[in-house]
Amino acid sequence: MKFLEVNHVSKSFRSTKVLEDVSFSVNNGCIVAITGENGVGKSTLLNMIIGLIKPDRGSIEIVDNFGFCPQDILLFPQLTVNENIDYFRTAYGEKFFESKKQQQRPDELLKEFNFFAYKDKKVNILSGGTKQKLNLVISLLHNPDLMILDEPYASLDWETYLKFWEYAAERKKEGKSVLIVSHFIYDQSMIDTLYSIKNHQLVCV
Amino acid sequence: MRLNYLLKCLQLTAKSLLRNRIILVLLLVIPATFFMVTSYTTTNMPILFRLASIAEKTVVSIPQREMALIFISLTVTGLLSSFVSLVLIQNQTTEHRRLILCGYKAFEIILSKFILLLLIILFISVYISMIIQFFFNPQHILSVTLGFLLIGFVYGSYGMLIGTILKGELEGVLFIVLLANLDVSWLQNPIFYTAAPHKMFIRSLPSYFPSQVSLVSAFSEESTAHSVWGSIVYGLIFLTIAFVIYAWRMRIVRSR
Repeated sequence: MKFLEVNHVSKSFRSTKVLEDVSFSVNNGCIVAITGENGVGKSTLLNMIIGLIKPDRGSIEIVDNFGFCPQDILLFPQLTVNENIDYFRTAYGEKFFESKKQQQRPDELLKEFNFFAYKDKKVNILSGGTKQKLNLVISLLHNPDLMILDEPYASLDWETYLKFWEYAAERKKEGKSVLIVSHFIYDQSMIDTLYSIKNHQLVCV
Repeated sequence: MRLNYLLKCLQLTAKSLLRNRIILVLLLVIPATFFMVTSYTTTNMPILFRLASIAEKTVVSIPQREMALIFISLTVTGLLSSFVSLVLIQNQTTEHRRLILCGYKAFEIILSKFILLLLIILFISVYISMIIQFFFNPQHILSVTLGFLLIGFVYGSYGMLIGTILKGELEGVLFIVLLANLDVSWLQNPIFYTAAPHKMFIRSLPSYFPSQVSLVSAFSEESTAHSVWGSIVYGLIFLTIAFVIYAWRMRIVRSR
């Protein structure tokens, strides 16, 4: 089963060609990474995958329930951890939180990532590391089939990053998938398929 | 549009704004400061001026302080409404984009912000109408308050439009101050208006109709229905353009 399928996608900005005829897919139960130097088009590809920009040519099909963890911390600083979770939970829709187990998921994630004690604290008083954890937890709230991480080495502290891999390995066993987009891949042994962007094209490494 | 999404966004946007103490202080302190300065610098000497929306030749004689208080109330309501509106739209745009990626619709977010803005305008208008009565009793206080609400609506919608077009806060504030300064703070001032040439130009500016609602209600028995409708139409034009631009800027190109 394919969670993401990118078919012959090309993108240029005015006369600058960024990506040319890019195709790849992410199947269930696998971890895929896309790497490349700064400025080769990783962010453009990622933005097309999540729907922020439109490809000039080609098509992208993605499952409804994907989770996206951005590089920057995109949270509401005047709200508490719980209120942020509540906000995004509403955004994902009640269909993901119907059963009792699904309803307990946000609390379980807070415990799993060791910051349950902060659930009533305002985000703007949390440490940088705790904000990063919340940034990640928000993208996992609805138990996504496909998890997309933008530059996890830059956006997650080491403890959260290791915890994430632990979590990802468990999810993989359940048939969930992960897509990492980063200029640098630290632990390639965890990756099932590694792609690199070179000369506007995607190459399997 | 989904009601639970709208209400959640309204509730959490309101919480976020109310926890911003500087905005709360501004909302309470600025009107009081304007009133104190106006009261300190004006007298009860009668002045003659024309009320623009009623017969052009009708000249009314009103104590300077009373006229200035109504006029300054309009200025402060317009300025505060557009400023709050700008803050509501420009703040946390990328976070709202993340909400949209997760399932919110841009329309639900901007509509909840607009509803919150209306509640804040209601608060400012009632607060200012209460203070003004410490200084004098306008002839029709409810209609005067309606004028404050309408200028808040028109300028709040203008603030939303500016917030959707411009990304920078500084540029946004500059555009708001520029229009407010020219329009509500100067050209709609009845003393200036009485002797001004090119009155049609002044009448085409955003605060003309709401200013007339408050000024005419405060100092005459004339009807203000025409000005009320004019204000609503003006505000709706700003608001519609703001909604369209916001939806376009926050759009998601994948099919859901």
